[in-house]
Amino acid sequence: MEQTQAKTRERPKPFVLPEYCKGCGRCIEACPKHCIQLGTEINPESGLVPVIIDLEICNGCGLCYMACPEPYGLEKALVELMPDVEELDRHAYFGDSKPERPQPQPIPDTAVPLPKMEPLVTKGSYASAIGALLAGCRHFFGYPITPSTEGAELMAKLLPKLDGVFLQAVSEVATVNLMYGCGGAGLPCMTFTSSPGFSLMLEGVSYMIGAELPGVFVNVMRGGPGLGNIGPEQADIKLACRGLGHGNTHAITLAPSSPQEMLDLTMLSFQLAFKYRNPVVILADGYLGQMTGRVTLPDHLIRPGIPEWAVYGDEMHRGNLICSIQLSEPDLEQHNLHLNKKYQQMIANEQRADLYYCEDAEILIVAANTPSRMAKGAVQTLREQGVRAGLFRPVTIWPFPIEALRPLLSQVERIIVVEASNGQLEDELRLALSHAEATNVPRIEHVRHFGGVLPQQQEIIDKVASSEMLMA
Amino acid sequence: MSDSVFYKTFERHAHAQGLKGHATHYCPGCGHGLVHKFLAEAIDELGIQNRTVAISPVGCSVFMYYYLDVGNTQAAHGRAPAVAIGHKVANPESIVVSYQGDGDLASIGLAEIVSAAQLGIPLSVVFVNNAIYGMTGGQMAPTTLMDMKTSTSPWGRDRLTGQPMKMAELIAQLDGSVYVERVALYDAKQRTRAKKAIRKALQMQVENRGFAFVEVLSECPTHLKLTPQEAENWVRDQMVPIFPLGVKKELEAEPWFHMNKPNFDPQTLLQQIEAAAEASERFSPGFPAHLHPEDISLKLAGSGGDGAQTAAMLITRAAINEGFDSTHIPSYGPESRGGTSYADVHVAKTEVLSPASPNPHVLIAFNAPSLAKFGPAVQRGGAVIYDSSVISEPPKLDAGVKMYGVPFTQIALDLGKLLVKNIVALGALQAATNIFPADTFLTAIRSALAHKCSLIPLNEEAFKWGQKAVADVNGR
Repeated sequence: MEQTQAKTRERPKPFVLPEYCKGCGRCIEACPKHCIQLGTEINPESGLVPVIIDLEICNGCGLCYMACPEPYGLEKALVELMPDVEELDRHAYFGDSKPERPQPQPIPDTAVPLPKMEPLVTKGSYASAIGALLAGCRHFFGYPITPSTEGAELMAKLLPKLDGVFLQAVSEVATVNLMYGCGGAGLPCMTFTSSPGFSLMLEGVSYMIGAELPGVFVNVMRGGPGLGNIGPEQADIKLACRGLGHGNTHAITLAPSSPQEMLDLTMLSFQLAFKYRNPVVILADGYLGQMTGRVTLPDHLIRPGIPEWAVYGDEMHRGNLICSIQLSEPDLEQHNLHLNKKYQQMIANEQRADLYYCEDAEILIVAANTPSRMAKGAVQTLREQGVRAGLFRPVTIWPFPIEALRPLLSQVERIIVVEASNGQLEDELRLALSHAEATNVPRIEHVRHFGGVLPQQQEIIDKVASSEMLMA
Repeated sequence: MSDSVFYKTFERHAHAQGLKGHATHYCPGCGHGLVHKFLAEAIDELGIQNRTVAISPVGCSVFMYYYLDVGNTQAAHGRAPAVAIGHKVANPESIVVSYQGDGDLASIGLAEIVSAAQLGIPLSVVFVNNAIYGMTGGQMAPTTLMDMKTSTSPWGRDRLTGQPMKMAELIAQLDGSVYVERVALYDAKQRTRAKKAIRKALQMQVENRGFAFVEVLSECPTHLKLTPQEAENWVRDQMVPIFPLGVKKELEAEPWFHMNKPNFDPQTLLQQIEAAAEASERFSPGFPAHLHPEDISLKLAGSGGDGAQTAAMLITRAAINEGFDSTHIPSYGPESRGGTSYADVHVAKTEVLSPASPNPHVLIAFNAPSLAKFGPAVQRGGAVIYDSSVISEPPKLDAGVKMYGVPFTQIALDLGKLLVKNIVALGALQAATNIFPADTFLTAIRSALAHKCSLIPLNEEAFKWGQKAVADVNGR
């Protein structure tokens, strides 16, 4: 009996920090000795009525503590050390508000040299997957959708051999959130998808942008709207450039035009995604995904590090947070201003274009993806006929490479936008011209196709000729 | 100060202003605070604070990251299990907790939780079921009880608005889960069980045994419009009969989860992508300018299964092996077999510009519709090679187009393998156009069959018969 009493005395007993007690009374029901009762005084700080504890018959069983939903509502102390809560220095009690931790340090990527190899003969989707592997991506998440599936299939085949992870998600919605988790852990990850699947991912893309997470989305665009078909189209330009989910969002959007660029631009995408902590979109088209061609390998591969901001699940990164919620309006405004600043940096630094016979061009054809190949063929034929035609090919559709276009405006008489969409590329061009406050904008015409039909070389030539006749 | 993994000060809670530095955002009597506490204690007891990544959901517990001093990620509504798996496979050493409410897990996020539980990668899911949407203000949840009035079931939940979803039982049915229990918080005994269950769910992950799921019946006094004590009683008297407490599944699961560190060895990668250090032998004396000085355009057309795409791929491979540029674009119907199957191929001296072949120099047609469709588009001076076993009356084309009827199918059948008719066609292409020397094609064929060496002699035979058939036609 004496022993029990001694033990009881040694047990810590509860005390209330009244401003942190919400007076819910769950501890009252929990106490077998009925030591606790609802208070009567409103706490001036919280405006709530904290409980009162009578320690006289408390045996320190701890059940009240276990019933308290507040981390710091009920505290415990040995009786002899029991503080006077009114006198207790809260600052000293809780310690310094900011925990002392070492700042997480970035673990940088390393470039590992590759020997010189013969070019691969491979299709666009495969080249993109290989580009991702070379960029250090060992985590793939995706949902099968034609015509992007070949890329995922190659990843499924190769990643297990490289001790990587291929995970077929339950949907595109899950896919983008798997990427959110893996990207949040600071690792390079990607998906292959096609138009309807990309639509489904957009909520998550907005979250990734809000939470500033890297990730590479290869959208092999197909015919729409709705289920559409599996032919090539370019009708997701609007989505990628103007509609990446809700909120003020942007992502660098790259438009390859050959299997070689599928590899090169995929590698570049990972670099950009981590540089800006933002998703990167590769817009390919159905033809390009399937197109087989010659692909030269780079001279190095990337062994990725871990950025300092990651939530990797280890000691160094424990203090980090990945989130896109900012409850206070001024905080969210600041966050948006920060994101806008990044977008401005992307606009300033990441415009890319490929110019073909543009130096003296009077007729400028603007085209991206596979249609730019037809346009290139047309330009060559037109040049043989003595027509001063040139091809301006945006490699980044967002940001639109207006700086490369601007110097050509004074000499160009006509711009012909060739695309497999209802003017989505042309809209990007027109917006860019408008933002650049270009005054000498030439006449803008177009050749457009839809539904899996691509503009052909001859009709581009015909378009140039027909207008020329009109002008004559 | 007690031992737990709560932050000493909640800096993220409104910048720790006023009381927010040490008080939660939860209403008085809310069960979430208790679940957080049990989770925090379990993390502390298991010594996994540094390894833990907690996924905050959307719902009242969206701000769990204010409180738990672990790695924190906040997820989109319903997607916490997917986000959790993303973290787990990124770092298999991490201990990932997916914390979700009933709207999040049992409504919008059903696909994610069900597939995660079926997949079975070790995760610890804490599911707080209080039968109502808290954050959005008391709407009907998938777990709302029958006849219960909420702001979106103002007349009481009825058959037309569904029936309470029993998640623990559902998750226990799935193959990947190893431990599933439903617990409650309404008295000291239940709280002890709840704490033990949460700890066990973490332990299953620490020991790499599998997916664990704890459903916690919890109180939402605010939206139940009850006092905290009444809410406890309500859970006990109203919820428990519908959501019975107890262990729903507990397997003697052996530790199984293990992932190697990703491999970045250059040689392994190059081997996997089948990159070659040595160039293929070249046989061509130069670009086949007799067909076109810069860029030769071909079209191969047939039905799915004719092998048009494989043949096209071999032409592309052969051209690139010879140092030219080449592209191949397939176009086929959605059917795997039997639909249309067209291939556009370009072979260019330096660079293929347009990869489409609307007006090819060479057409290989495997059936009559393909010949009828594309024959008239062949350029003057070009060549058409067609399967004369299936096309007895070829259409009259431009006189400048040379026609080669070769019985692809008959030759292939005579060789005992219908599948090689596309190789017969390649042999015919070689003989009819001399686009590349025969050895160029044969090398590409052998390289493509490197994994099926036994098929090489048959394919070589087929190629030679194709060549011979053209020679016979020419000789006639």
